[in-house]
Amino acid sequence: MDTDEIEQELDAMQISDSFFPTGAFATSNGLEYLFTQKDIRRKADLIEMIRVSIVQQMGPTDCIALAYALENSNRGNLDGVIQADNTVFATKPVKEIRDASTRSGIQMIRCVAGFVSHNKILSSYQDSILEKRAHGIFPVAFAVCCSALGIKKEKGMAMLLYGFSVAVVGAALRLGLIQHFDGQKIIHEIKPVIAKAVKDNSDRSLLEMWQFAPQMDIIQMSHEKMDSKMFIT
Amino acid sequence: MVHIPRVGIGGPVGSGKSMLIERLVPTLAQNGYSVSIISNDVISKEDADRMRDNLATKRGLLPENLVIGLATGGCPHTAVREDPSMNLSVIEEMEAEHPDLDLIIIESGGDNITTTFSPILADYFIYIIDVAGGDKYPRKGGLGIESCDLLVINKIDLAGLVGADLKVMEKDASRIRRDRPFEFINCRANEGITKVAKHIIHDVLLDARPKSEIRQRARS
Repeated sequence: MDTDEIEQELDAMQISDSFFPTGAFATSNGLEYLFTQKDIRRKADLIEMIRVSIVQQMGPTDCIALAYALENSNRGNLDGVIQADNTVFATKPVKEIRDASTRSGIQMIRCVAGFVSHNKILSSYQDSILEKRAHGIFPVAFAVCCSALGIKKEKGMAMLLYGFSVAVVGAALRLGLIQHFDGQKIIHEIKPVIAKAVKDNSDRSLLEMWQFAPQMDIIQMSHEKMDSKMFIT
Repeated sequence: MVHIPRVGIGGPVGSGKSMLIERLVPTLAQNGYSVSIISNDVISKEDADRMRDNLATKRGLLPENLVIGLATGGCPHTAVREDPSMNLSVIEEMEAEHPDLDLIIIESGGDNITTTFSPILADYFIYIIDVAGGDKYPRKGGLGIESCDLLVINKIDLAGLVGADLKVMEKDASRIRRDRPFEFINCRANEGITKVAKHIIHDVLLDARPKSEIRQRARS
């Protein structure tokens, strides 16, 4: 590897690190509701929840949007990026998840724009959010940042799903559902699921976007309405 | 976009953060200032709901949708210091939708004595402790007590009951804070709240008149 390649690896590490400020630490994707209802008790249940979320929700929605937005960012096509933004926004039925995703995305774009200068698509996308033509939803904001940093599509998709898995595992740790070594085992066990979701969704068009996880939707909506909770849904 | 001045209020669990806000808002409202509240809570929306009920629904001091509860995933400290993304987004939405607000108060969830606010998030940081933790508290220091813009020591009425010596607290606070201010208050009895409000009006709002008043003058 030459130094440029090493730097690019570091770019990928930086924006997929849970230390990167996007507010993801405050989300559990509905896990807290399952936990308080005592519907999730074992490590295997948690793995299954993450698997369903990736295969049935994030892979065929967020990953497709990310791939499409990243390709269009690379081509300098803002309209394509905005189209991905609006399409994936429409696939999220839970308001709190939509809000959290756009809030994270907007902050991510702003943060990256602070250290990546002279990237036209990054600043145009930022402008389109201010003009309310785009929402700034996280997978698309993430795609635009990946493009600005020269990160490839499949790697960006894997980073997105990895970040999601880490956020849910982190929530499980803080809820006391698992212990710290279990968390790392789960992340390791989920890697083949992430890899397959990336492979399955990297070349799909926006028209092929879908999701079907009604039980997860209901769990997330129930979580949204909980009176007492630690996490944003 | 309009920048609305922001005050962060942090302190340990039970020190009186929410009660201080519930006392400050009416005092500021009496002076014509329009305030909104973001409550970062560890475990519930309880504080935000109570403030909404007390300040908005019952007394009409601010609109109900301007009291917002934010869950912090069990990390209230992170939400106001290392990664204030969610708070910043909510504030930007407020600034866009309610540019006439004079002040935004951001309450941190109860945390330890190392809590501080990111200066990107809050222009002014009030740290509140109470005498029930013992008169050693100011002496112990910690980032919150040492670095805040204003240290508030609450529940002074309980000092005698818990064996806390207010003179010791005053001496230690003066030493550790050097020339930075601190105030003794009793939120429950509304004692000392005006002094805290004056700090906010002078240090944060720079003694500016409320926006509503300026608008009214401009019209007439």
